[in-house]
Order: sequence, then C-alpha cells, then structure tokens
Amino acid sequence: MGIRIDSLAVAYDGHRVIDGLSLDIERGSFFTLLGPSGCGKTTLLRTLAGFVRAEAGRVHFGSRDVTAVPAHQRDIGMVFQDYALFPDKTVFDNVAYGLRARGQDQTTVARKVGAALERVGLDALGHRHPAALSGGQRQRVALARALVIEPQVLLMDEPLSNLDAKLRIQVRQTIAELQAQAGITTVFVTHDQDEALALSHRIGVMNQGRLEQVGTPSQVYREPGTSYVADFVGAANLLPVTLAQPVAAGTRAEVPVGGRVVSARAPGALPAGAATLVARPEDIALAPAVPPESAGDALPGILPGHIVRRQYLGEKTSYRVSLPGGASLDVDCHGAGHDAHAPGAHVVLMLDPARTLVLPR
Amino acid sequence: MTLRRAPLTVWFWLTLAALAVLVLFLLLPLFNVLVGSFGRGAGGPSGWAQVASERKYLEAVLNSITLGLVVTLGSALIGVPMAYVAARHDFPGKGLVAILPLVTLVVPEVIAAQTWLMMVGNNGLVSRALADWGLELPSFYGWFGLVTVMTFTYYTYLYIGTLAAIRGFDVQLEEAAQSLGTSPVLSRWKVMVPVVLPSVLASALLVFTLVVGNFAVATILGGKVPLLSVLTYQATVSEVGSDPTLQSTLATLSVGIVMVVLFLQRWVVSRGRREVTQGRGARATRLAGRRAWLLGLGAAGVVSVSLLPVVTIVVGAFTQARGPVMRWGQWTTANLERVFTRAPDPLFNTLTYAAVATLVGIGFSVLVSYLVVKKRNRLTPALDYLTALPLALSGTVIGIGLVMTFNTGWLPLTGTASIIVLAYVVRRLPFGTRNASSTLYNIPDSIEEASISLGVPPVATFFRVVLPLMVPAVVAAAVLTWTTTVAELSASIIVYSGGRSTLPIEIFRLIDSGLMAQASAHGLLLVAVILLPIAVATRVFRVDLFASRN
Repeated sequence: MGIRIDSLAVAYDGHRVIDGLSLDIERGSFFTLLGPSGCGKTTLLRTLAGFVRAEAGRVHFGSRDVTAVPAHQRDIGMVFQDYALFPDKTVFDNVAYGLRARGQDQTTVARKVGAALERVGLDALGHRHPAALSGGQRQRVALARALVIEPQVLLMDEPLSNLDAKLRIQVRQTIAELQAQAGITTVFVTHDQDEALALSHRIGVMNQGRLEQVGTPSQVYREPGTSYVADFVGAANLLPVTLAQPVAAGTRAEVPVGGRVVSARAPGALPAGAATLVARPEDIALAPAVPPESAGDALPGILPGHIVRRQYLGEKTSYRVSLPGGASLDVDCHGAGHDAHAPGAHVVLMLDPARTLVLPR
Repeated sequence: MTLRRAPLTVWFWLTLAALAVLVLFLLLPLFNVLVGSFGRGAGGPSGWAQVASERKYLEAVLNSITLGLVVTLGSALIGVPMAYVAARHDFPGKGLVAILPLVTLVVPEVIAAQTWLMMVGNNGLVSRALADWGLELPSFYGWFGLVTVMTFTYYTYLYIGTLAAIRGFDVQLEEAAQSLGTSPVLSRWKVMVPVVLPSVLASALLVFTLVVGNFAVATILGGKVPLLSVLTYQATVSEVGSDPTLQSTLATLSVGIVMVVLFLQRWVVSRGRREVTQGRGARATRLAGRRAWLLGLGAAGVVSVSLLPVVTIVVGAFTQARGPVMRWGQWTTANLERVFTRAPDPLFNTLTYAAVATLVGIGFSVLVSYLVVKKRNRLTPALDYLTALPLALSGTVIGIGLVMTFNTGWLPLTGTASIIVLAYVVRRLPFGTRNASSTLYNIPDSIEEASISLGVPPVATFFRVVLPLMVPAVVAAAVLTWTTTVAELSASIIVYSGGRSTLPIEIFRLIDSGLMAQASAHGLLLVAVILLPIAVATRVFRVDLFASRN
C-alpha cells in the first residue's frame, strides 16, 4: 500500500507548519523524514496518522483517500517516541490490545501475540508490566504492538531517541529486519542522519515545512541538491564562493578559493555570482607542505594552509585547516598515522574534483 | 487548495452540554443573587440602601475581612514553619504530623466549634477546672473563640499547600545557587522562597475565602461580633419572613470581597511567575538533641490540639447529660441509642444525599477534566473557569442562589431532596475536578493515540485506556468528595426543608439548643461516616488520598 500526499497544508494556531507538500512513498518501502526539530516532520507523520487535521490537500493510502478518515480507522501501526505503552496493562495485553479491538478471538490473539513477542525476543516477558522493562525492551514491545495488527502503514516517530547509543544500533537492526520481513510501507521520523542513512530506502530531508530533497541515502549524501541538505546530511564544508561566469547543469566549474582555483561539479545550472562550494571532510586529502613551496603546490585544485585544530577520534583524525584569506576547511584523515600532523603545521589540501560540488547559495 | 473546517466532534457537544449544566445550576443562581440585590422587596428600601443605612452591616463587612486576615496570618504562622520542618527534617514524632491532612477531613467545622465550646466555653470542662483554681478564661464567644477555632481548623490547608510546594521544589536549584557562591541558608532563601511563595499564597487565599464564607464556627461562636456570613444566613431564614433583597445584597457583598482578594492574589502571583520544574526533592536531614525534641514537642502540641475535637466528641457522646448540663465522668449509651431509635432520618438522609452527590459530582468532574485537559476546544476554557468558580463562593451564597432560582418556575426544586444534592454537587465540584485533572496531566497524550492507532475509536479509547489509569485518582476524589459532602452545612441548611435534615444540620440545631451530649452522639456518627470510607480506601485499596496534591 503506497502513500500519496498531494499539496498538503497543516496549520497550528493559524501558523502554517506544512505548506503545500507533495510526496509519493512506494509500497513496501522504508521512507525516512529527516530534519532538525521544528521542521515539521513529526507534524507530517501525525497528519498521516490522522492525529493532525490537514487544512488543505489530500492523503491517499493506496487508492483510498484517507484525508478525512479518523485515525482509528486508517489501519496504521504507530510507534511513539516515548513508547506510549499502557502502564496498567501487561506486555501481553499491550500487544493484544489492537487485536482485541479488531474483535479477534482469544486463541488467535494468543497465537499472534505469542508470535509477535517471539519476533522481538520478548516471549518470556509477556506477564510483565511496562514499568518492569528496560528502555530497549519497552521499545520492542511498542514495535510488536504496532506490527501485530498487520497494518497497511507503519509510522514511527523518533522511536530510537530515548535509547542509549549501543541499544539504538541494536534496535535499529531489529526494526530493519522486521520491516523487511513484513514488507509494510513504513514512514520513519528522525533527526539522526545515521539512522536515516542506515535504515531507509528513500529519505526526505525536511526544512521549514517543505521537502528540501527526496532521494536514496546515497543520493542525498552524494548528490545534495542544496547546501542545506549537504550540511544536514553528514558533515560538509560550505564555503561561500563567487562564480565568474554562469555554469551549465552537470558541467564542471572552476571556482576561486583561497587565492587558488579548484574544480567542482555543478549538478544544476548556476548563474554568475554568489554560490556555495561543498566539500565533505573525507573527500579532501591532506599532505605536509614541502618548504619552500614547490611549483607543484601551485597546481590548480591544490590549496595551501596550516592546521589550527586537531581532534583525535580513534578511527580517524579531524583537522581544521586555515586557508589564506581567512576561510577554513575541516578535513578527515584515515589510515595509518592519521593523527601525524601537528597543529601549526603547513599542509596542502587536495579536493576530489569528482566529489566537490558547487551549489546555489 | 480548499480550506477545511474541523468537524464538530462528540467532545465538542459534550463540552456544550457540560457548559449548559453549569450555566443552569451555577451561573444562573449566581446571576439571580446579583440581580436580586438591586430589587426592592415588597416596596421597602433596596438591599443596598438598607446595607448603607445600617451601621451593623458595614461593621460586619469589616469584621469578616479582619477575621479573614487574622486567621490567615495565624494559620500561616503555624502551617508554613511546620511544613518546612516536616519537608526538610526528621525528628521524633514526625509521624504524628503526617496525619494532619486527615484531621481536617475528619473533623467538620461544626464539630470543631462544638468541642471547643465543651472544653473552654462558659460551662466548659477546662473553664470550670480553671475556675476552681481561681483562673478565669476570657469569654470564648467573640473574637477569641473565632480566631482560635478557625486558626486550628484551617492551618492544615497552609501546611498541606506549603509542604507540597517544598517537596516539589528542585533541590538542584539550591545546589546551583551554592555553586555560584551563596551560603546554603541564603541560597535556600533566595531560590526556594520565590518558587514556593505562589503556592503559599494560593493556600492562604483559600483559607481567607473559607473564613469569610464560614458559617458554622461564625454562627456558633460569633457572639456579639456581627459577621457577614451570619447576617446573610439570618436574612435568609429570619422568622419574620425572609428578606430576598437583603440576603442577595449581603451574599453579593461576600462574593465581592472574595473576588477582590482573588484578583489581588492573581496579580501578585503573575508578577512573580516562574517556571516551576519538578525536580529532585531534598532529602530530610535528621535532627538530634534539644532542637529535635523541641520540634517534636511543638509539632505534637499542635497536632494534639487539632485532635482534641475527636477525643471530646467520643467522650461527650458517652457522657450522661440532663438537658444542657453535662455530667462528666458518668457514662451512658443513651445518647447514641437515641440517635438510632428516635431520629434515624438525618443519618439516612446524609448517607443517601451524599452518595448520590458523590456519584453525580465525580462523574461530572471526570468528564469536565477530561475535556479541559485532553480535548481542548474554544469552549473548554470557560468550562475550566466555571468549575473552579464554586471555590470563590461560600455555601451560604450557593444555597441562596439555588433557592432563589429553583423556588418556582419551570424547574421547582425547593422542598425536594434534589436541591440538597444539587447544592452538594455544586459546592464540591472544584475538588473533584482538580483531582481528576492533575492525574490526566500525567497521562501522556501518546497513550491515547496509541490506542486509536490500533483501531479503537476515541470514545472507546477513553473508557478502555484513560479511565482505568484514572481509577486511583477517581477513587481518591470520590472519598474526598464524600467526606466533605457528608459534613456540608452552610448550603444545605439554607436549601433543606422539613424531614430532610442531615447530620450536620441536626448537630447545629442541637448545639443551638445547648444539648451538647446529643450533639456529640450525632457528631460521633458523622465522624464515623467520614472515617469509614477513608479507612477502606487507604487500608484495603491502598489509595493515596493526597497523591494529586504532592
């Protein structure tokens, strides 16, 4: 059951939170709404659930127009950020709740709940109350409760944000497996880009009530359409630059940076004037400068600079390199001896011309 | 894009229905009282002209305000330090202090007044003993008695309110202040006082309203001091035929006083409004040595004075009496037998009316608080405001309003049991609603949404998910409503009619006739009726009656 959203508008107290948003989510796919807090992603999810009323626009689940359908009739499964387990009911009764609401008989309920709890590895804890569970266990009960009713659409509102880092990765795995098994169209809301990249078939990056870009994880990471997306998904150096002449879409531009010129790809057409150069820290190579500056250092695409900060992160070292003219770039070094460069050292940077982008300011 | 309007849900219609009920049974009576004060009864002078021309009314207004201020101050002087000490320190006998909230519940005002009279009244046990030693107590009728009894009746409100505020205070704030360089004592003063003060003020206001509206103690102990509540009652039931414009005027005056104070309090609180976050409460520090014993003794003293009425009522109920003369030391069961055999009606009436009022009131409270907390719409703020309104109205005013409104017309209720139940429900509405609301605030919205997302319609979700979670709070609210309803006097004494007397009314009449032994017997029964559900709720069902206040 795919989801189609047409020109959706949602307002709170007369203030438009979502404005004319359209989106198609493929049947059986895992779709993530990614964005900072306040961007409207949770509102969009709650509109899909039916808890928030659309002011304008339509929502379809498959061919069914659910815009005016109340939440309890939409046939959704929802996983909440704070789990929202019924505190007075046991794990079993929590999971059985939706099945009983659908009037299923005792034996079916027992069988399905048993199977659902087994799938999330909690079959031994059915008699417990939520208060006697750990955070990760609660999250899995919430998952089981949402999945056991075999909903057409699974909605998840930052379901991992209350878990600690290790557990988050574990439960993330469970979610991915369960979703793949069940093949339920899933909409997942998060502000965590790692989660989004790891779980999703497609990601919608949201900004101020609009979808900034929709694409596969590698598309939004490798081919960000805007500097906002580049900045929000993964780490990126964003340098304000000035283009001497217009650039056609898909061509290469020569961009002046720090007194030199670097080559960057323009995914879209750009007018002359202000633009943004986007380079991810891992796409920049760093090498010690050989004094005095050799002729080779002055080649195009090579930037001289000196290290102003070094941050040792275990598998890599992150350097901040100051360029002549005041700009600075963050650079990640991997491999043996990645922390070898000392603060103050003069270095040269090489920007990967295939991966460096120039985008509209 | 087409704009859609939100459809009117079942919740909206329920809000409308609840509002209609409140307008009919609360706003309309209040409106009639206000309008009545401008009318002219039987060609005589208008109520305001009468009040302006006679000195005793002005005096009564001033007396009521003075009494309110003095008792509030006295209650604060006892209640606030006790609360601080109880929240922050452990000392011998602290357990005694913990039963204080119960004492206010168990001892109705009318019994407090009665038992103080039995001890230190003109013919009281203590007064006579002191007289044998050549000591003479000042007359207990008038200011001395009023201030003493009311202070010892009402200080628990300040104690409870302050205790809850101090316990809810995040001790990390104090630690932060200390880390910034202020001494522990100064930190506490600078950080805790501003956060706790609004709660203290709110409790103080409650005490002030209760004093100004107090009928039982004021009438029994007022003596020659004219008080607004007493004059209002007298204007209503005066034997020469009640004076509707005068009673309305006096009732309006007392509403006015409370409104002004309420307004002042809001103004003060809003000026010092602070975001109060629930945090880690402080651990009590154990005191030892002389200070500990002094504290323990002081607390024990206050508590035993508070408990005095219970002891007196038990002794009085089994003491022989000949008319008004108590024969202390000579025991009998005749007083109690008399209550059951000769006059069982008041007991029966009390149980029936209070049971119905509790059921109706709690049902309505749960509905209203659910609408106000969880299903906000354009009308719910009005609903919220109206359900709190009876807090500002004395029982006398509510009684007068109901009688004026439902005496005749399309809904004549005067003379029926319904009007007594109605008076009970209206008076206790704020308590039930407040209890239910505070639980609802603690139930996250996502719980409901989870149920709806699993396919259960909203109304069914309320019954299957929300209501079960509210049960402990609802039971607590029901018990509290019951205990305060069976003891209700000031509204019911105005609306009741022959054959529909209740235990408090009966006690009041017996005290008026000086028949203290019989009054004690009725009182003992009343205390039992109050205590029984409390005992069952707390012991058998382990309900924490005051959970929502902490």
